[in-house]
Amino acid sequence: MKKKGRLLVVEDEKNLCLLYREELTKEGYKVTTVTDAETALKLIKKQPFDLIVTDIRMPAKNGIELITQIMALRKDIPIIINTAYQSYKHDFMTWAADAYIVKSASLDELKSKIKELLG
Amino acid sequence: MIEKYHPFLHEFPRGASKELQIFSILAQSFFQPFSLMDNLLVILTALTAGPGLGFNRAMLFLADGDELKGEFWLGPASAEEAASIWEVLSTPGVGYTEIIEHNRALLTSEANPLAQKVRKISYPLHKKNPTIPTLAASSREITLVREASKEPLVDKQFLELIGVEEFLCIPLLSQDEIFGEIILDNAITGRPIESRDIELASICGLAAGNFIYVTKLQKRVVEMKKQAALGEMAMFVTHQLRNPLVTMGGFVDQLFDPRLSKQKAKRNLKIIRNEIRRLERIMLRLTRFFRIDIKELAPVNIREAFKLVTDAIKPLVAGRTVVLRTEIEEGLTSVLCDPIHLGEALRNVVENAVEALKDGGRVLLRAYRENKDWTVISVEDNGQGIPESVKGKIFGSFVSTKEKGIGLGLAYVKRFMEACQGKIAVESQEGQGTTFKLYFKTGGGG
Repeated sequence: MKKKGRLLVVEDEKNLCLLYREELTKEGYKVTTVTDAETALKLIKKQPFDLIVTDIRMPAKNGIELITQIMALRKDIPIIINTAYQSYKHDFMTWAADAYIVKSASLDELKSKIKELLG
Repeated sequence: MIEKYHPFLHEFPRGASKELQIFSILAQSFFQPFSLMDNLLVILTALTAGPGLGFNRAMLFLADGDELKGEFWLGPASAEEAASIWEVLSTPGVGYTEIIEHNRALLTSEANPLAQKVRKISYPLHKKNPTIPTLAASSREITLVREASKEPLVDKQFLELIGVEEFLCIPLLSQDEIFGEIILDNAITGRPIESRDIELASICGLAAGNFIYVTKLQKRVVEMKKQAALGEMAMFVTHQLRNPLVTMGGFVDQLFDPRLSKQKAKRNLKIIRNEIRRLERIMLRLTRFFRIDIKELAPVNIREAFKLVTDAIKPLVAGRTVVLRTEIEEGLTSVLCDPIHLGEALRNVVENAVEALKDGGRVLLRAYRENKDWTVISVEDNGQGIPESVKGKIFGSFVSTKEKGIGLGLAYVKRFMEACQGKIAVESQEGQGTTFKLYFKTGGGG
């Protein structure tokens, strides 16, 4: 299968990392997962990604700080917020992201948003 | 040059006109820490403050649902007594607190038959053709009644109770609500009610109405704050439950895929089992957190509690070069608290300490007498210390710096300590270590 895009998933839950990696790889993406924002930033500086999926509440640096720093580094990468919280939608800093998804047991919404953003 | 004054007077202005005195009492009522009833009573006191200006007696009704209920009736039994309240007020050094005390004594005294009588009566508030006394409240107008026995609108039973021909009804209102009514008369002096009296009464009525309104608003604000905290908690719980659910959902979906290898299916089941266990743990912690309810303090053996904690912590220490020591001051055997919660609270603190340790670290669990009032159980470690940035919030709910932490551990310990009339303190130096001190009231110790 042709690789459709390079994704970086930032998610502090290891099991969810595994799930996203497997499921999104099935969709034909090249998936890298990291469990903290600091490692994510290091990777973004070194490697090209086509899209970033990030959680918000994580130990140490949170997703909102991460988004701000990614924007400063690379304005063009689409970012999807994938979080267990509804309420961050009201935080205007999350508006900078291209999509806001509340984590669900079904990955359909996440998959279709990625597809949409990668055109 | 400037001069400074306190925003409200501690004493009432002496030698000032009666109007100014009454005005001062009313204004102060808004700044007092007393209950709504106390403050309303003071307003009635101002209204009945003796000869010259003011009435002899004041009766208060408060709206309760669809009814106007009698609350209290303030007034002297004789002309001499009427003058005495004003004398009290005019005494140097008398302030708001003195009036409150005076009123409370008056209401509870058996020699005050008026108060007992009025508490037994109530009138429907929203009748089609309201009678007096409810007319003033339902029509929202001050109503002066003269020759009451000839007036068909006056309720006959009420007339019997009040026993005078002339009285004034003042409604207590806000913009959209009826709170009650004040009824004033000059039963003792028999002085006719004049326009100046009505003006004074209307101001007092407005103050009382506002007072009730503000008190209700304050109650609503407290309620809203509680709800906001509840909302915050609900959000937190949802989040705690959502992550395991999302994980389980995803891996269950994979199980339905016929192409999934046996090996992976087994792995998925393991993950799902672990997530279920995690959910269970979260539920357990949440229930424990919300159910701290200690009815009776009992002496709990310190040595046994320490033993339970060190046993429980063993798996955490296993394989690491971490030392956990206990020390109990000679002669000290127990602290006053609840045995189940003490074990759990200590385990929380010790677990935190052990987790913060590098290899070669030490934790000292110690019990000693701080002074004659307090017995302390302290947990001392030489770990990394608490970062300055989180020091202020470690006892708050839902604050965690740990990867798997749900942020209830220390909040739970704090709630437990409060429930057993104790307190908790923490000293921490970044890079040097942390000491948690749990203070228990001495009484059963030793």
